[in-house]
Amino acid sequence: MKIILIMFAIPAILLPAACVLYIFYQAMPALNLSLIFGSDISVVGVNSIGQSILPQITGSLLLMALACFIALPIAFSIALFHAFWASQNHKKLLMTLLQMLQGIPPIVYGLCGLIVFVHTLQWGISLLTGSVILAIIILPLLSNSLIHAFARIPREQTDAALSLGLSKLNVIIRIWLPASWSNILTGLLLSMARALSETAPILFTATVFSGITWPDSIFSPVTSLQTHIFYLAQEGSNIQAIHTAWASAATLLLLVLCFSLMAGYLRRYDTT
Amino acid sequence: MMQTNIDVKNTPKIHVQKDFLVVEQLSLQLENNPILNNISFSLPITGITTLIGPSGAGKSSLLRCLNMLYSTWGGEITIDKTSIKQWQAGEDNLRKFIGLIAQKPAIFPASIAENVTFGLPRKQRKQDTTTLIHDCLIQAALWDEVKDRLNQPAVSLSIGQQQRLCLARALALQPSILLLDEPTASLDPRSKQLIEISLRRLAKNMPILCVTHDLEQAKRLQGQLIFMCDGKIIETGESQELLQNPQKLETREFLRWEVCDCD
Amino acid sequence: MLMLRPSMLASFVWLGCLTAAFSIAVLLWFLWDNAWLFFQQFGIQTLWLDEWYPYENLYGFLPAITGTAWALLIALLIAIPCGLAAAIVSSEIVSSTWQAWIRLSMEVLAGIPSVVYGLIGLWLLLPLLQSQLNLLTGHSLLAAGLILSLMILPTIMLMAQDALQGVAPEQREAAKLLGLNWNQQLLRILLPQAWPGIRSGILLAVGRGLGETMAVMLVVGSLDRMPQPFYNILEPAQTLTSRIGREMGEAAFGSLHFSALMACGLILAIVAVFFSFSAQKMRPST
Repeated sequence: MKIILIMFAIPAILLPAACVLYIFYQAMPALNLSLIFGSDISVVGVNSIGQSILPQITGSLLLMALACFIALPIAFSIALFHAFWASQNHKKLLMTLLQMLQGIPPIVYGLCGLIVFVHTLQWGISLLTGSVILAIIILPLLSNSLIHAFARIPREQTDAALSLGLSKLNVIIRIWLPASWSNILTGLLLSMARALSETAPILFTATVFSGITWPDSIFSPVTSLQTHIFYLAQEGSNIQAIHTAWASAATLLLLVLCFSLMAGYLRRYDTT
Repeated sequence: MMQTNIDVKNTPKIHVQKDFLVVEQLSLQLENNPILNNISFSLPITGITTLIGPSGAGKSSLLRCLNMLYSTWGGEITIDKTSIKQWQAGEDNLRKFIGLIAQKPAIFPASIAENVTFGLPRKQRKQDTTTLIHDCLIQAALWDEVKDRLNQPAVSLSIGQQQRLCLARALALQPSILLLDEPTASLDPRSKQLIEISLRRLAKNMPILCVTHDLEQAKRLQGQLIFMCDGKIIETGESQELLQNPQKLETREFLRWEVCDCD
Repeated sequence: MLMLRPSMLASFVWLGCLTAAFSIAVLLWFLWDNAWLFFQQFGIQTLWLDEWYPYENLYGFLPAITGTAWALLIALLIAIPCGLAAAIVSSEIVSSTWQAWIRLSMEVLAGIPSVVYGLIGLWLLLPLLQSQLNLLTGHSLLAAGLILSLMILPTIMLMAQDALQGVAPEQREAAKLLGLNWNQQLLRILLPQAWPGIRSGILLAVGRGLGETMAVMLVVGSLDRMPQPFYNILEPAQTLTSRIGREMGEAAFGSLHFSALMACGLILAIVAVFFSFSAQKMRPST
């Protein structure tokens, strides 16, 4: 029995390391400084190959940062509503709604965003559209973690602070934030990792293949690492393109892991 | 001790000229469960009032209503003839006016001194608070134990000390009423004694409402006694008299067995 | 009471909640409205028609639905045994140091963006399939299923491990005291008690697998045709997500084609929400 189990488990245990190693192995040829700072070697016929992927990195980070910037205050207000104003029934309804929103596949949000923001509101394919869609995608995740972060603060502390005549705002600033910052940060980091790895919803709503180094305004499209990988992956005949794709994948993976592992570390640090 | 003329036999409603806090026909429902039912009583301007009753009688809920931690109650609560629902400066200000000490001490993760001044407005906190901290800790009978380590984290204190720190923290706001929810339930005899002493001293200047299920403590604290059971006030009277000569069957039963069956 | 004295905090909270509710309601309303338009025109029977040629106004959903189902089924067939075995091995057999490492590596696996999985599928898996099974390109439902299984493995494994570790130590001890051997302990104590958690992990994984787009889109081949015969998983095919992903860019806004894609999105959303709900409902209350 044990032997059979171990046989089955071996692929699951070995695959993660294998995947990561394979990505970096493939990325080796292109993973050097010229990937970031650009080089003069450009392959004729296909633009943007051999160029630096710095615009893509900034694009991805911009999208992520703006999405979090939009989602954070809204998630905060939802969590505070849950903590202070919602009755038991409201709470149940709110959690169900969040669960539902989390269940909807990101591509569906992308599709809706394309209709509402790009066409109806005339924002066009832009940084703003992409960030708003990403913000909506990470909103349930972020609100959930904030709600749980606040729920873990002992009830007595809140009551004691209220009995001292502190206003709700003061209770939040002086009791809740100091007590739960690590949980809040964990949730935020996980949401950032999520926003950074979503590709499908921004493919047709926020990004173009190349030509943008720094968006002029929030209404201009951006380039992003995720979609860059997607476009390059399909350049089947061009070996340089594939190398760049792997290198971009390695960069993206590093960025995402940076956020998600930091979140994991914080969670462990918090429980000890 | 303030003398009050209480009509024990006929009605639990008390109307004294100098009533400071008056509760009239207070009822409370939580999640469709009736918790409090037609509660009426009043606190005189000074002196201890003790609230006894079995657990689940709604004593803690009553305190939370007085403090607006529960705000869905019906009826009327007035302080100095002002309804607390129409408190001009808002419920935060009301809570500064009423000190509440919970059963389980909730110490904030800060130093002892910071805990004492926690409820003060920022401007006051920035000023020199040494005398205030000293006074409050003296009143709460904690000064001697902590005077050398005011800047150490408060969580290092024992539970009994923490409870007295909570008392000091509430006193720092100079409240006009003090509410205590079984303040000595989980304390050692020494801390219990210290708290009772400081309560009796404080009661000379302000009304104190102390919830307890400890009959001995109710005897020691003296003053007015209210017996509550199942969300209703069963009997009210002067402590000594009510304990020795209870009128109602439920009270008698509770005094003998410390259980109560109000149905 | 709140309305009487709106403080700064209260206004902030209300503003935030209303913004969230409003924008999400608008998005979902557009989804519903467009899909409704489509179903009004073509009727519900498009769900089981098997021709999808947008240029000739033929919109049959069956190929994509079959494709989605096959890809998901293959993924589950691989990921459930492997994930469960890995969970049992890591929580019951190996030392706690190893356990921490396995957990970390699973978190890493869960963190890999789906487009990177797509890259791996396209440039590692497809050539492998092509040479091993003598396929034309390797684009197939099998490839999609394999990649999906890799993507849902962490969900299943992590949830199963949490569920197994949630079984009280007293229970294990009691089983040992009764003289049950390791296999019996596993089959009669641990797995039955951890089953609710494992089950909701599987349902969550189904929900996630349904909505996965990029990786599937890159390896599935995007050919709108029923598999011939229907169990042929070695040919290029189409799933609901890959169809949306492929055609979203080319469908003109306001056209029937676009409405048809919205209808795909609606079906996807409904099924995925159903699975995530059941995962939540069946989750053990902890």
